Amino acid sequence: MLEAKNIFKSFNNGNVRVLKDVCLDIAEGDFTVILGASGSGKSTLMSIISGLERPDSGTVTYNGIQLTALKDKELTDFRRKYVGFIFQQYYLLPHLSVENNVRLGADLAGNRNYKNIIKSVGLEDKCKNRPFELSGGEQQRVCIARALAKQPKILFLDEPTGALDEQTGRSVLDYIVKLKNLEGFTMVMVTHNQNIAEMADTVVKMNSGGITEVYKNSSIKSAYEIGW
Amino acid sequence: MVISLKDGAKLISVSVICFCAVFVCTFMLNFYLDLSSISGISDGKILAVYNAQLSTAKITSALAGGFLGLIAVLMTFFYIKIYIDSHSKQLGILKALGYGNFRLAIHFWVFGLSVFIGCIAGYAGGFIAMPYVYEGLAVNGIPAVEINFHWQLLLGLVFAPPFAFLFISFGYAAIALKRNLGDLLGAKVLSQKIKPVSKSYKERSFLADMCIKTISSKKLIVFFVAFSCFCYSAMVQMGFSMKTMNASLMGVFILLIGLVLAFTCMIMSVTSLINANRKNVAIMKTFGYKPAEYAVAVFAGYTPFALLGFAIGTVYQYGLLKLMVNLIFADVGEMPVYKFDVALFFITLLTFIALYAITVFLFSIRLLKVSVKEVMI
Repeated sequence: MLEAKNIFKSFNNGNVRVLKDVCLDIAEGDFTVILGASGSGKSTLMSIISGLERPDSGTVTYNGIQLTALKDKELTDFRRKYVGFIFQQYYLLPHLSVENNVRLGADLAGNRNYKNIIKSVGLEDKCKNRPFELSGGEQQRVCIARALAKQPKILFLDEPTGALDEQTGRSVLDYIVKLKNLEGFTMVMVTHNQNIAEMADTVVKMNSGGITEVYKNSSIKSAYEIGW
Repeated sequence: MVISLKDGAKLISVSVICFCAVFVCTFMLNFYLDLSSISGISDGKILAVYNAQLSTAKITSALAGGFLGLIAVLMTFFYIKIYIDSHSKQLGILKALGYGNFRLAIHFWVFGLSVFIGCIAGYAGGFIAMPYVYEGLAVNGIPAVEINFHWQLLLGLVFAPPFAFLFISFGYAAIALKRNLGDLLGAKVLSQKIKPVSKSYKERSFLADMCIKTISSKKLIVFFVAFSCFCYSAMVQMGFSMKTMNASLMGVFILLIGLVLAFTCMIMSVTSLINANRKNVAIMKTFGYKPAEYAVAVFAGYTPFALLGFAIGTVYQYGLLKLMVNLIFADVGEMPVYKFDVALFFITLLTFIALYAITVFLFSIRLLKVSVKEVMI
């Protein structure tokens, strides 16, 4: 479904090599965790396979569409049609209500059912509030609702629990996985937290810009069973 | 030091406005002082023209100095606020280390420098233009007015304004810095005042709401956009109307000043708008919004205010010219005829629409350059 081949990426005019010959396959409906320490290149890899950034060389293909060959306009269309994002720092629009932050995603997909999504993340009574009136966990739930309201085929998550406490983090993870199982979309999560990897179908370990190990979990744990 | 000389130099639009104000005031007040030293006019008709010229010089100086001075003050406040907002973390750290509001505010004196640059350039420009102005304002029957140097003008137009702005900048910065430390450092949730949900809350599409909220979060930009369009409308029409009143040279000055003010304010407004919306545009891009959609979200809401500014400018220039003709030339026998020029109005409107559209289009291209990586950092 999503295939990355021989990806190279460097910054500072080639002085800092971030990704070195990375190859990766992600199956449809899979929950893949890209695991690595800070500076391992995991976030850069996610930017490239999600169409946010271009590699120096190598190809990324999604269901036969070669992302690396697309022009900027076509990449925008690709993200519009297929991709959802959840970020560690939420990136909600501060002056807009919860409802309109969710509509940022919903309007793109012509999704009029966005209120049900707000309800499903438990924020139906906070529709009219603005992000700064919410707790960190609630803001992350708005971020989830915004991404899901777009009805993505593939959801990318960059350290979604990085800014949350244990209890909130667990409930957010639990919620995301339940929705993923219900909706059936593909999910790629970047994290440095080894414990979260126990929840994934597939784990991709990264170190110093390369993939060191890829394995499938024989038993998948829930958010409340993993360590923190 | 938190604020460098480079930061002060960024207030180029304040310099331009001060230049325009001092430029006009220099030659008009100099003319007023030189003209008022002439005595011995006994002919009643000539005396009326003499008085009319004194009034013109006084009114023009008061309008240019007062109005543009006020705009420069507002613009300085605007820049200081933007500076504090964009450097809130550094300022917060300094406050946390024990620096007081006044100690930090003192550094904002740098912003007075841009006023000094504008004033000195305007004063020099005014002196260069002075012989032509004196020639243009010469009237048969009144003795030739000689150009004299007036030290009080140098003091009042070049040295006094920067000092005034130095204190204004310091005072405003001291007030603006009176923010909660947590707010400055970004621990927003606990420190921000939570306003109750508005009863008039309406469901709108994301883009419509984004348009409205972009405006309501940056109200001063609304003012500057409207002011820019006001300047274009009023001063272009007034500049050309001066020709029919046998004051072509003044017309050229008014036209040039109007264009400079309009473009300076518009560029400052649009640049501030883009900077304030970089993150919002980046997140919209990430989600797959197209360039036309985020350009609409950022700029479209300002169009009604631009048109409003243009309309007020038209009414203002008509009213002002009518008033000046009636007041200044009331005692002069040959009162110039002034009528609203419909053709000129439509030409100005059409050029305004074209220039506004081109400006928005050109700055929309800058939105394209906003990197989606800004949200990933």
